[in-house]
Amino acid sequence: MTNDPMTKDRELDLWREQWSSVARPSPELKRQVQKRIKVQNRRFWLGNLLAVAALVGVLILAIYQLSHPASGLEKGRATGVCVLLFVAVACRLWISRGTWRAETQSVRAFVELWHRRVLARIRGLQIAIYLAIGWIVFCTGLAAANWVTIRLELIAHPTEYLAMMVVLVVMLRLIWFGVMWLRRRKVAELNEVTRILEEMQTMND
Amino acid sequence: MSTQSTDSFASRVGIVRETRRTLEQQFDRILGEHGAVISRLAYSYEAVAGMREELVQEIALAIWQALPHFRGECSERTFVFRIAHNRGLTHVGRRRPPQQSLDDLEEADEPVDPRPHPDEHLAQMNQRERLASAVQSLPVAHKQTIVMMLEGLSHAEIGEVLGITENNVAVRLTRARKALKEAMGVTQ
Repeated sequence: MTNDPMTKDRELDLWREQWSSVARPSPELKRQVQKRIKVQNRRFWLGNLLAVAALVGVLILAIYQLSHPASGLEKGRATGVCVLLFVAVACRLWISRGTWRAETQSVRAFVELWHRRVLARIRGLQIAIYLAIGWIVFCTGLAAANWVTIRLELIAHPTEYLAMMVVLVVMLRLIWFGVMWLRRRKVAELNEVTRILEEMQTMND
Repeated sequence: MSTQSTDSFASRVGIVRETRRTLEQQFDRILGEHGAVISRLAYSYEAVAGMREELVQEIALAIWQALPHFRGECSERTFVFRIAHNRGLTHVGRRRPPQQSLDDLEEADEPVDPRPHPDEHLAQMNQRERLASAVQSLPVAHKQTIVMMLEGLSHAEIGEVLGITENNVAVRLTRARKALKEAMGVTQ
């Protein structure tokens, strides 16, 4: 209890009395939280492991193709993957500036950090869209430059190529809808955080 | 050489295990001491019972994650309130438009205390629910100040949690109290 004059206030005492019986923790809370901790730890390790494995795998493949005698198409693809990965990681680090930790430990600092994080996420999605467009353009250019090789392959295995194209188009559409859905969610979250931040600002004025 | 490095590894593992055990004990104690506060705070942010339960778990999880970084710069109570408010805000910000199931709606209207209540107790319960729904309806900044006031935090502690001066806390409290009274009047 505080020594504020308000504690002598009967209305406040009554509110405090009523408030103290508003909600009780579930007896299962500890068990449920332990379960969530385990799930989260597992997800964290698995996620990181998969990301590192994918990154290392793609890099090894790219370096292998670059250092061994391969066709122009393979070399171009390997170079493209390396450049794309480098640019993606660099962009991720660049847009994450100032979003690692809050300036102070207050709720206000947390909301400001949250605002910066959501903005960074939206920017990240925007950059991902540009990178995807860049990648499609690059692939088209690469295919045009190596059309002679591709044409022969295409004539030899038309069904495989058609199936691959269909899968690619479906995947692109799915990724596009996924990104757009995530972007809409993040924009809605940004509006909400901005509202909360403005509300906090107004209360301080 | 090899025995030395094995010993050193074993002692490191021992230290890690000991630290984890200490953290677990601290976490259990915090949940025991502040569990009710966390539940009430979640109640101020979320009216739907199922989602509230979810929020309480999220807060507890966030406390567990932040515990290794807690160096005692503030009181444990302030630490818990700060994390709980942060998590509550994130919950509000990420909440989708309400899609309540009938079960949830029934649960939301259920009395929190399941004890049988005669008429007198029923009146008290109505008062309590009126206060709770009024707190839920307040703007975030008012809600945070009011909840901490109801939990008995001092002006200095509220200021520390919210990152504002004590004078600012006093001003906010006056406004928040007025808003709460109005909200209770509206819901009456």
